[in-house]
Amino acid sequence: MIELRNVGKSFGGQAPALRDVSFDVPAGSICALLGHNGAGKTTTVSILCTLLTPTSGYAKVAGHDVVREAAQVRSSIGVTGQDVAVDILLTGRENLVLFGRLRGLRRKRAQERADELLHEFDMVKAADRPVSTYSGGMRRRIDIAVALVVPPKVLFLDEPTTGLDPRSRRAVWSLVSGLSDQGVTVLLTTQYLEEADVLSDSIVILDSGQVIASGTAGDLKKLVGHGYCELTLVDPLNVSRVAELLADFQDVESDVEAGTVAVLATDGVATLREVLRRVSDSDIDLIDISLRKPSLDEVFLHLTQPAITA
Amino acid sequence: MTALSALTERVIVNTYRDLDLVFAIIAPLATFVGFMLALGKVIDTGALSYPQYLLPITVIQATVFSSMTTADRAARDQSQGFGVRMKSLPISAVVPLTARMLYCMLRGALGLAAALIVAYVFGFRLNGGPWYAVAFVLLFLCFTLALSLGADAVGTRLSHVEAASQILFVPQMLLVLLSTGLAPVTAFPEWLRPFVAHQPISQITETLRGFTEGRVETSNLLTTTAWCIGMLVVFGLAAVRMQRRPG
Repeated sequence: MIELRNVGKSFGGQAPALRDVSFDVPAGSICALLGHNGAGKTTTVSILCTLLTPTSGYAKVAGHDVVREAAQVRSSIGVTGQDVAVDILLTGRENLVLFGRLRGLRRKRAQERADELLHEFDMVKAADRPVSTYSGGMRRRIDIAVALVVPPKVLFLDEPTTGLDPRSRRAVWSLVSGLSDQGVTVLLTTQYLEEADVLSDSIVILDSGQVIASGTAGDLKKLVGHGYCELTLVDPLNVSRVAELLADFQDVESDVEAGTVAVLATDGVATLREVLRRVSDSDIDLIDISLRKPSLDEVFLHLTQPAITA
Repeated sequence: MTALSALTERVIVNTYRDLDLVFAIIAPLATFVGFMLALGKVIDTGALSYPQYLLPITVIQATVFSSMTTADRAARDQSQGFGVRMKSLPISAVVPLTARMLYCMLRGALGLAAALIVAYVFGFRLNGGPWYAVAFVLLFLCFTLALSLGADAVGTRLSHVEAASQILFVPQMLLVLLSTGLAPVTAFPEWLRPFVAHQPISQITETLRGFTEGRVETSNLLTTTAWCIGMLVVFGLAAVRMQRRPG
């Protein structure tokens, strides 16, 4: 449903924003585009939405080339950007009717469709208030609803949960997985690994404009190959000291708030034994020490920081 | 067509709610009354009564002033992600611009009607008959469209909502005050007169004033026409260019 082949994009003079990006998203699945700020996620989405033209390679959405058949692409997609893209002076209902008409529905039909969506998105009560009075979560919901007025074949969600509280985030998640159940193909970008893990069928990791890994969450976890040895300290203040002690291990991660330090367990139990020995020698008390499978966060760090793993 | 009417409706609902439309009607009316009371007995306009002299600049000034919120509106449409969504819709890229322009013309026409009604109370008359009246309205709308296109281009280009109107504020004040709209050129110091007499606002208000009296001066009409067509072409091209999807 979405197909990118060797897509490159440069903005005159600067380092290319995208280099040789290729991936596919099968119909009806959810793909997460994962990466830090500036990794090229929004550029990729903009190309797929026909807002930018690629400098090299080609991309197809719903079977249409994004450059040569831009008009057909636009009729097949729904887009929600990073900013909420509705008119905040209009009410939720007025926005739905407006965008319905912009997608070619007659006024009557647009009004009926607005009613349906307001019910579906549980926004009937707020329907006739201006969007400027909505909370962040509600704005996001109306924004997604607007993208669905005419059911798109492909829905692009650019960082749909950035800035939302955990509850609204979960609401958006269940909304998105519901859409995919209805057969909509979804491409979402996110900086949150948890989101990619929970929501998507496949994940594409972008770093500095290049695809550095892709596959299912399980595939990516296997890429790291090893489990992690994680220590939980009695006194979180010791986190940096422990991190120093273990500095020669791979992928050292410390979390001061949680009071944990984790290192890549390249030698399995032997790593665990060595870690324990060093920590005991320096008289630091532990609550817990364990070996576990890598989290997606660790996959991400592992892949985006080649210098450390070298 | 559906898209254009839906978007025009949206701008009207918006400007009704943010009061832009209301101010656009009150502003020329209030300016007219204000200047009448403040300057009506001070400025010598020769044979012409002051209400007769004053009306053209009040409607021109209202248009100039309104163009600042036009710039803001264009900027807002661009910056809020709204513009991005517009560009990903299966509609022509110039439809949102056209909708904003239709609104500007409507706002201009309503402001003009309000100003005319009040001016009539003060003794102003369209003395030239129906054809001159039509010419008056057309020239006014043409100027309104030209300026609105320019303001839209500036707003779209800047896309910083606060900055857009502030950048336009000073030049528009100077052009209106240093024109022959409020007082004849003889009221200005000698060294400033060449600028005051020849700048476009003066030329256009002269023509409008002529139309209210049923007379035209050829050289002035040519200058005004040149300005209007020039602005329409330059600002029109700029505004349309700004709407293009970037490379």
